Amino acid sequence: MGTFTRVTIDFDTSHLLFPTIVSGVLALLGLAILIRDRRRIAGSAAYWRGVLARMDKMRFLGTLGLTLVYFSLMVPIGDFWPNTGLGFLICSVPFVFATGSLLSHDRDLKSLLPIAAISLTGPTFVWWLFTYPLFLTLP
Amino acid sequence: MFELVTPLFLSLIVGGTLVGIIFGAIPGMTATMAVAICLPITYSLGLENGLALLLGLYVGGISGGLVPAILLGIPGTPSSITTTFDGYPMSKKGEGEKALRIGICASLVGGLISLLILFLFAPTLADFAIKFSYVEKFLIIFFALTVMAALSSDMLIGIFSGILGIFVSLIGTYDISKGGNGELRLVPEGTEYWLEGGFSLLPVLIGLFGLAAILEQAEIGMPKGHGIKDIKVGKKSTFSIGIFKGQLINLLRSSGIGTFVGILPGVGGSAASILAYSNAKTFSRNPERFGEGEPAGIMASEAGNNGLTGGALVPLLSLGIPGDSTTALLIGAFTLQGIQVGPLFIGNNPDTWNAMIFAMLVANLAMFAMMYVAIRYFALVVTIPKHILFPVILMMCVIGAYTINYGIMFDVWTLLIFGLFGWLATKLRLEVAPFIIGFILGPSAEVYFVKSLESFGDVTIFFTKSWIAVVLWVLIAASIAGSIILSKKHGEATDT
Amino acid sequence: MKLTRRTILAAASLAAFIAQPMMSAAQELPRNVRLVIGSTSTGGDTYQNSAIVAEALADHLGINIKVDAVGASEAFKALKRDSRGTTLMIFHDQSYLGHLYGRRGYEDPFANYAIGPTVAINPGNAYLVPANSPHESMEDILKAAEAGERVRVAIQPGGVSEIGFSAMKNAARVRAPGSEENIVAVNTGSQSDKNQAMWDNLADVINGSIQANEQFTQLGDGDAKGMKFVWITARDATLQQAPAEGMGNTTRDQLLKFASPATSVTLDGEQDFTFDKEFFFLFNPDMDPAIIDQIDTALAEIFEKGDIQKRQKGSFFIPNFLPSKEAKAHLEAKRDTYRNVIAEISGSK
Repeated sequence: MGTFTRVTIDFDTSHLLFPTIVSGVLALLGLAILIRDRRRIAGSAAYWRGVLARMDKMRFLGTLGLTLVYFSLMVPIGDFWPNTGLGFLICSVPFVFATGSLLSHDRDLKSLLPIAAISLTGPTFVWWLFTYPLFLTLP
Repeated sequence: MFELVTPLFLSLIVGGTLVGIIFGAIPGMTATMAVAICLPITYSLGLENGLALLLGLYVGGISGGLVPAILLGIPGTPSSITTTFDGYPMSKKGEGEKALRIGICASLVGGLISLLILFLFAPTLADFAIKFSYVEKFLIIFFALTVMAALSSDMLIGIFSGILGIFVSLIGTYDISKGGNGELRLVPEGTEYWLEGGFSLLPVLIGLFGLAAILEQAEIGMPKGHGIKDIKVGKKSTFSIGIFKGQLINLLRSSGIGTFVGILPGVGGSAASILAYSNAKTFSRNPERFGEGEPAGIMASEAGNNGLTGGALVPLLSLGIPGDSTTALLIGAFTLQGIQVGPLFIGNNPDTWNAMIFAMLVANLAMFAMMYVAIRYFALVVTIPKHILFPVILMMCVIGAYTINYGIMFDVWTLLIFGLFGWLATKLRLEVAPFIIGFILGPSAEVYFVKSLESFGDVTIFFTKSWIAVVLWVLIAASIAGSIILSKKHGEATDT
Repeated sequence: MKLTRRTILAAASLAAFIAQPMMSAAQELPRNVRLVIGSTSTGGDTYQNSAIVAEALADHLGINIKVDAVGASEAFKALKRDSRGTTLMIFHDQSYLGHLYGRRGYEDPFANYAIGPTVAINPGNAYLVPANSPHESMEDILKAAEAGERVRVAIQPGGVSEIGFSAMKNAARVRAPGSEENIVAVNTGSQSDKNQAMWDNLADVINGSIQANEQFTQLGDGDAKGMKFVWITARDATLQQAPAEGMGNTTRDQLLKFASPATSVTLDGEQDFTFDKEFFFLFNPDMDPAIIDQIDTALAEIFEKGDIQKRQKGSFFIPNFLPSKEAKAHLEAKRDTYRNVIAEISGSK
């Protein structure tokens, strides 16, 4: 084996070796895509306008927003009763109901009733299961 | 040994398998979690009974993952990712039931073959496995990574997506417990508090496959129906054993690969089904059908991940070293009872060893029987209206993400981040399948690559280390050549 | 949306109302306690020790304690966030060794947290060589280093696994200044990586444990996996408390031959270096001291009864209860010793 192929890895900086290689390859491939697909990329503004125009904004952004609120409130609320998982339970019931009725096409009583039933029983059952028999930590 | 086979012993296996299947089938819950939860109970059960329960959970948990993978396109566990590639398209064609039956049969075959290998060759195979140094392990991972090319519909973008997956997997610290130096990289300033541990696999997975799919449906206004027809509607939906004709080699090879990946400590369970799938595609006569609903793809994936179960027990029972994250927990079950696991385990504890083999056998048969009977109940999932199913799935994903590392809220945010990323990726035409494979294999690829150079100090070591390395290079070359030929063919087909 | 917001507001105010009496009465451990540990493994020794203690404590006090294997850095974060006593932590010497070795995510625990009682020792930390190694003992290894032979030691850097290696270097320095340069680290990860490093002939000595490696010392001649112990770092007094039958086919008396004083790795030319992996509680620094007293008292009563010792010994742990104040003084003295060792050899790493 020639000296040409020899490498010395310094342990203290070895965390950078692989990320550097991967970043390099990623940049090269990105460049290749940029060159090959330049037309498609140039037209991306129009593409995104189309996506936004076709989007069911209420359902999409609503789901996203509800998820965001759901995740954000779970821990602060759960902190009132530490280690009981109540934050999860208290947030999940309205989340499942709100998301369910948002995604549903019909919002009359007949359609909302099953959603309400699931949003009460589902999270409660899961909370009970994880807190008592499975003894796991929930927010 | 037969005095150990009590009604309690048998019912623990069957009960464990059932609970395992349920855990595997719920997106976000995994076999590892099921075993972790039940580990403390085993202290009072005694060693053999405790192991019966845990092995049932293990086999059930690995198998249950195929249900949501096929019916919803959401892998129930990381090892069933490759099952979604062909299983979900089959469901969309109205062949969901057939896909389920294929998956369950292949799981049984994989489980039994690996069990046989475990029973007959455990110590010998362990001696072979320790011939795999950093170099050979890196090549195995590299070989698994070549499946990225085969899975891409556009090779350039597919490989880009896969490398991006590796890149994202490296964010955080260079893990000390894997041999790294514990230093941070690729973490933007100000985010160290959250990102120092990097992104965990499970939340990334359920974000990419679960939340992203929900967002996509919301975006297009929740059209009625699941996009999949009733699971029996398709013309070719009837399942017969005949479908396995000509697939014997595939089944054997996939089970063997799964077993072998399990035997190699540190390569990781998810690599088993990925490698099996990529091999099945490389050697198939119809590689272009993979990813479009090819039964052979499901067989490879499921035989591969169930093959893991027996394999991962080999290093555990003959070296005291776990083959994957679930068997790592089994060590706890042994030490709780004050039993040493190591090279002398089988010889010192023949009764326990036989009981374990028997428990695995029963667990595999019970898994098959229960899942086969339950197919029509699984199918009910598809009849639940989406606006009720989706919020509940999301809630389960939250639980899965939060509990996978025992209560870390950042894992829940990871779920959201990757849900959004998954939605965005399809818009940008990035490919999710190669991305997740890169993400799964990235950390091992890094450690074994860097450690190879660190220990041997020469780049040529990758070619000269051993005959095993040479064999692996041949496989890597075949896989890459196969992908290139396939993409050429595909290109010509679309041109004309 | 309205409904959601209203529900949440209502829930939050209700919560604040209910929480009030709970906060004013926080003189003792709450009903639901989360015990975070410094390891992410639920199969490892930290988890097992913590589970044994948590169960005993929960039974004794009639409360719920959940053990969460979140790992060192997340455990410290969780502990820092919560001073109400709803989050407690158990970890071992890694908590200050990580700081001494300058690892990321480790602060000085003596300055930033309250040190609680110690509960147990894992006496297993050991060093091994291949069965066919020319070195039979630590004496051979240190002599080889003196003679200019390079000795490669596989460890996981930055903590419990490295401290014995640092001690070897220090002993070499005390015996023959300069010879410590010949003892070099091979940085690996888990136990399986360390074993593999030996089998790949990348290391001459590996860090291991009595529990995980004993069976490898019992393999017949000609088995390439064979190993032999050269050093067990535990104190003589600790190992004496282990069951007389020892571990596997190695009796306690045989194990004692590899520990001080029979096997000497000197600290300063007079005393031997020893290391016991001790498990202890860590608390939020602002937690009510009354809770610490409550835990101290409860543990004293539990150890008085004697059942917990049986469980600990059954899993090859040594019972080791010291109330908070004594534990802190003991661990600080231990830390000072190791700080000196690390400082002495730091020039030559």
